[in-house]
Amino acid sequence: MSTTGWVLYTVLIAAGSGPAVSGDDAAGAAEPAGQAGQAVAETPGPRLDASGEDLDYLARLLRAIDVGPYDVPKLTLKRDQNYAYSSVDVEPFGYVTPFKEHFLEQMEYTGPGRALPEPENLTSVKIGFIGPIMSTVSVATGGKSHEETLGVSMLRGAMLAIEQANAAGGYRKRNLPFELVVSNDNGLWGASGNEIIKLAYKDRVWAILGTIDGANSHIAIRVALKAEIVMMNSGDTDPTFIETNIPWVMRCISDDRQQSYLLVDYLYRKLNYTRVGIIRASNRYGRFGVREINDGSRRLEHPIILEMAYKVGSGGYTLQLERLKDSDVEAIVHWGDAADGAAILTQMRALGMQQPYFCCDRCVDDEFLAVAGTHAEGVVCTYPWDPTREDVKLTAFRSAYRERFNAEADTYAAHGYDGMSMLIWAIQAAGLNRAKVRDVLAHRSRPFAGVTGPIPFSACLDDLGDVFLARVENGAWKFSSRAELGIPRGYIAPRDRVSRTLAADPE
Amino acid sequence: MLRATQAGSGLVVSVLLLSGVVASAADPAATPGISAGQTAPAATPATGDPGLPFVYRRWEQFTTATGLPNDHVFAVRVHGDSVWIGTEDGLACLDKKSRKIKAWREQDGLPWRVISGIDVHPRTGEVWLGMFGGGLARFSGGRFDHWHQLNSGLVNDVVYGVAVENDNIWAATTAGASRYNTVTGEWSIFTEKNAPMEEIWNYGVCYADGYVYLGVWGSGVLEYDVQRGTWKDYLDPDGEMEIDLYRDDGIVHVITTGVSYIEKTLWVSTYFGACRYDGRHWRGFFSHECGVPSDFHNAVRARSANEAWYATDKGLGALADFATDTWVTYTSDHTAMKGKAVVKRGKQLLKEIEMPLSLPHDYALAVDFDGPDVWVGTSKGVGHAIGDGYYRGLRAAGAEAERGP
Repeated sequence: MSTTGWVLYTVLIAAGSGPAVSGDDAAGAAEPAGQAGQAVAETPGPRLDASGEDLDYLARLLRAIDVGPYDVPKLTLKRDQNYAYSSVDVEPFGYVTPFKEHFLEQMEYTGPGRALPEPENLTSVKIGFIGPIMSTVSVATGGKSHEETLGVSMLRGAMLAIEQANAAGGYRKRNLPFELVVSNDNGLWGASGNEIIKLAYKDRVWAILGTIDGANSHIAIRVALKAEIVMMNSGDTDPTFIETNIPWVMRCISDDRQQSYLLVDYLYRKLNYTRVGIIRASNRYGRFGVREINDGSRRLEHPIILEMAYKVGSGGYTLQLERLKDSDVEAIVHWGDAADGAAILTQMRALGMQQPYFCCDRCVDDEFLAVAGTHAEGVVCTYPWDPTREDVKLTAFRSAYRERFNAEADTYAAHGYDGMSMLIWAIQAAGLNRAKVRDVLAHRSRPFAGVTGPIPFSACLDDLGDVFLARVENGAWKFSSRAELGIPRGYIAPRDRVSRTLAADPE
Repeated sequence: MLRATQAGSGLVVSVLLLSGVVASAADPAATPGISAGQTAPAATPATGDPGLPFVYRRWEQFTTATGLPNDHVFAVRVHGDSVWIGTEDGLACLDKKSRKIKAWREQDGLPWRVISGIDVHPRTGEVWLGMFGGGLARFSGGRFDHWHQLNSGLVNDVVYGVAVENDNIWAATTAGASRYNTVTGEWSIFTEKNAPMEEIWNYGVCYADGYVYLGVWGSGVLEYDVQRGTWKDYLDPDGEMEIDLYRDDGIVHVITTGVSYIEKTLWVSTYFGACRYDGRHWRGFFSHECGVPSDFHNAVRARSANEAWYATDKGLGALADFATDTWVTYTSDHTAMKGKAVVKRGKQLLKEIEMPLSLPHDYALAVDFDGPDVWVGTSKGVGHAIGDGYYRGLRAAGAEAERGP
């Protein structure tokens, strides 16, 4: 494959739908029309494209989704036996068998959209981007967003993916360039809805990448559902984002639930703490981010001693820290931005608080190290991927990003690149049809091979890839997996909760 | 079913066990939903067979081929001889007498192409339009008046639902609810700052009998007492997104999509199932245990305390008789050019009826009633179910008879 981008290919779309298609279906199928340069496994076995998808399976999938407006393709729906790899001792109401468990079976799209033909007279293939990239025009209506630096990184990652795809020929089926249509998400609740309307109905994009703020992401996906367009998220780690049963929504970054599960296991199963306190941003990111830590701590019989919230960017955290100091906690978890996290740590130490300090992934940032200085040593953060892993694709991405933007790619850039690459891959495979773009993404048989690592979708199309802990050692971040750190985890039942005799009973 | 065995006795209990009914009319303590002032469901036979519901066998369809501006229909509202239809690309009005369709697009003065909600003022006949990304509009005397974020107190332009409450117009928007007083011109905004909205993503709105109900994505259902100006919230008691802990313990999920209030009974739709509340008892409806075709509900419209229709992604689920959990599910098979109605009591299949025509498409998005008739908006046009001979509740199987188209 190319070291700078995607290998692009087209596939034949044969008429007629066949039997149910699933990722495990190994039945023979007609040969897809591969393109020169297409990556193919060298050893006998499935022929894979650069994204890691089985080409024979993809060809069958494309035939299956080539249906009329009144037909629903016969696709095998993903069925998870466990929601989000939750161990039984952190499942809600673990000693009760629930009446119903959601998110275990994949949602279908049953509308007529697959029958819409590709439009004529296009000059480009538009893909939408929405993210916090610019200050709002009025401080009174929002002012500068604290998420703008994250949004700009995400935009750069998306831009790079588009540029590389265009350098490789653009939308191959019709020799059209991809065009990124960029919308600003200024963080005000509701604004993102109008932007998605514009992208879907005026700009007529084929899929959308975004956004970061949890509230705006929710608003955006409500619009995407009605407008019937794929919404790929690469920057919002709010667990509830995907817990909405919308068949058009997917996420290519591991969420705060996965990261919190790892941190909770580390705090209680590995380090054996019993008294942990929380300090978090007083916004949706902080509020929802610590939910699973709160719940997990309580369910493991070590309820959070005290949770304090602070105003983002306030600079002064004395009140919160003094309360935490008085509560005699053994460790403190922070959930918020890097600048706040570093300032809090510095003030903690100034107050004589020597508790170990744990943070969310937003604190894995050079700004954190710069502000916290020597205090940062030993700080442990959750992280949705391992940016230091040895990987040709990742190395190539970093190099290209550095060359293009004269900056190092961060997590938002890398996930933005992966998310946009997934959309480009889907459009190349499915053609200019929003429903089919959804289908090929939602029904992938194998994890997408991203620069952030393999991206396996759960039944509700959330990224269930591995998450990591980052520890500051000698002034730099060191990333370790659960296995490398020897962090135990609770028992994960192989069956859904409703069919278990008792939800909390290991089988 | 546990509740049935606890509630009843004798012959009635055995029937209930067979049919999967939750509560029995023979046991007032267990009878859900009928409070003072409500219209009772049609009398059911005194025998062990509760009877069968009315099944709509005569349908007609309206699409772009017959004059709709677009087939993707988000809203349907009947007023007098007019059927107002909101589509993804324009507004339409079907005159039932002349059977002609008149359509308005942006070039005809419609402020924005996507119409997601419609209500008609019962006194003035003014048509109020909720526009998906375009704000709120009033169509009156051939003229469109337009309110949006920049010229009014409308809190957001992405309007999912609209409802007329006395002199007020309520708009359910993606960033809160707005209320416009058509007499004084005053706007009120309801968000997390002055209403119990944990999230402000309003989805559906309805008004009846002094109460406004908002279906709020992430905040369940909010009830606004118009006279008192007070709010009450209905949330999923377990507070968890991934499970419904106990059945019938409250609203089935906080992500609600539609509300319909009638005869002191609240009907709710969500993407996780549906439910009904009579002021004392909640009852959930799920596809794995009753006749509703799917748990993905786009909308709900109730006809009475005993009957409600759910627009789902896999057809139309009509709970024809709540007391006996009797459903009629309508779907279409365009390959065979046929429609199908399936009658179920709980999970028990009672009858399958084929018909020449049914819904234009199984992806149903909106429902409204028109006397005995029903109008359904789908993603491929509008279906009109003709209710000649319609009756409420159930009738003995013989009386229901074979009613040809």
